[in-house]
Amino acid sequence: MKIGIPKALYYYYFFDKWRYFFEELNIELISTNTDKKILEFGNKYANSEMCLSLKIFLGHIAYLKDKCDYILIPKIDNFGLNEQMCSNFSSLYDLVNNLFDVKILTYEINHQKKKNEKKGLFSIGLQLGFTKKQLKKAYQIACLKYHKQLKRDMMINFNKLESTKKKILIVAHSYNIHDDYIGKTIIKNLEKYNFEIIYSDLFNAKNLSHYLSLNLYWKYCKESLGAIVLCKEKVDGIIFITTFPCGLDSLVNELVMRKIQLPYLNLIIDDLDALAGIETRIESFADIIEQN
Amino acid sequence: MNCYLGVDIGSISTKGVIIDENNNIITSAYIWTEGNPVNAVKNLIEILKKDLNSKYIVKGIGTTGSARKLIGLLLNANIVKNEIMAHAVGTLALYPDVKTILEIGGQDSKIILLNNGIITDYAMNTLCAAGTGSFLSSQAKRLNINIEDFGSLALKSTNPVKIAARCTVFAESDLIHKAQVGYKKEDIVAGLCKSIVLNYLNNVGKGKKIKSPVIFQGGVSKNIGVLKYFKEILNTDVIVDPNSHLMGALGIAILAKKNKTNNIYDLNIKNIDFLTKANECKGCSNNCEILKIYKDDKLIDIWGNRCDRYIKN
Repeated sequence: MKIGIPKALYYYYFFDKWRYFFEELNIELISTNTDKKILEFGNKYANSEMCLSLKIFLGHIAYLKDKCDYILIPKIDNFGLNEQMCSNFSSLYDLVNNLFDVKILTYEINHQKKKNEKKGLFSIGLQLGFTKKQLKKAYQIACLKYHKQLKRDMMINFNKLESTKKKILIVAHSYNIHDDYIGKTIIKNLEKYNFEIIYSDLFNAKNLSHYLSLNLYWKYCKESLGAIVLCKEKVDGIIFITTFPCGLDSLVNELVMRKIQLPYLNLIIDDLDALAGIETRIESFADIIEQN
Repeated sequence: MNCYLGVDIGSISTKGVIIDENNNIITSAYIWTEGNPVNAVKNLIEILKKDLNSKYIVKGIGTTGSARKLIGLLLNANIVKNEIMAHAVGTLALYPDVKTILEIGGQDSKIILLNNGIITDYAMNTLCAAGTGSFLSSQAKRLNINIEDFGSLALKSTNPVKIAARCTVFAESDLIHKAQVGYKKEDIVAGLCKSIVLNYLNNVGKGKKIKSPVIFQGGVSKNIGVLKYFKEILNTDVIVDPNSHLMGALGIAILAKKNKTNNIYDLNIKNIDFLTKANECKGCSNNCEILKIYKDDKLIDIWGNRCDRYIKN
């Protein structure tokens, strides 16, 4: 059996765990890197109000729809009180269900209603005919492997703060910065310069976000803010990457630029066809960092 | 004697200066790009050459502006730098204590903050070209006013109309509405100038601390109406240099001087055949647009690929 996982949005938060989980159950997962074609697919299905990241998600669904038995799309609402997700994440299932003729596996994450990932994966497993015992074992192994890997990645990221090179903190949602079409293009541009690149999504610092805002209730934005609070004394500049038109980031961006006294670059990305604008902005930002 | 050439190729206009060892401008030129940077630069060089005494030798060439990469190849420049750096360096040469540079050009606008001669922060307009020169000139056309008279007409107004400052689409519909209910032309023009300033401060300048001395440059700085509202709203003096349009070119000329080598450049580019060929790469589904630059039928550079398939050898 093959399950398709669109390499967008929630992929970057859950895929590693899913990979180990489904590996234990001998289920093959399919996904592909974002490229221009995926974005074109996405543009075909998206309406004008949707953000670039969501367009890319729809592009991946269009790519996967004939290549797998099921597509896995969780409905994610919150991870507890004041840990809300962007409303897109809870609507993905219905969106895809209405736009495409595909079989979908889904579960709900809503910690306020006591629905969590473990229960969700178990319900999917049972639906696919596995026993509780098999699922329990697979889930345990997946959690173990996943946390080990996460810890290692975070450690590497954290140690970069002590580097003697100039350091730049990249603040962005995981699904933007690690995307092959959006984020990697920007990182590649940045790698021309001799900087240490630190990622905001590889810290465990969301509790620090209240130094910048007491009221913010979006989980991933709180994590970004927390990373900024943690790093602001140690890094030489911040690059904030936003996809157009992200409602959450437009607010968080204003917050950060008013409260942080560091060289700061906000890159808003809509369609990455012309790279010249991005290159100019990164080049001049790099000049400033090197000069200071 | 040694001299250095700086060329700033913008979307609308192309600027060039030649400076001597002491950063004095020997000659300068300002012409329209007209969508053809290669031709514009060829013409520009001819104009500059006319005023250049034969005792001068060109020891360095720098290019900046949106076509800097292409023209850098054409002129064999020893430095190619972005506009932010060029503008900052150029302005610092004339005003060493400048703290804030406001720049509104044809397609983009930026703000540069400096402290003790070092850039500390900057911002450029992000997605839209709201509040830039092209918006002003299209509105001037709509109102049938010469763009050169725009500023002086605005100064006549005692009661500028209120125009939405956040987005040019709203600004334009506001503008039409005000015209249709019979406001005087000068009041509308003044309102427009004011909305440009508010738009700039809301978009590019948001969250930035604007400290004096403040220097205003770029094409729009020639508009005395806009200047008046900058002074009024920022409540501080705003300086516009007579050469404000040349700051980028001056800056890149100075940078070319700093990076000089022993090379001597000749300015005979009139007959060089310069060609860009574009084709879509079929290597993967990204279909990058590959630009191949030919100088006299010889391939000299390839741009545009996201991967490492084409590397200049």
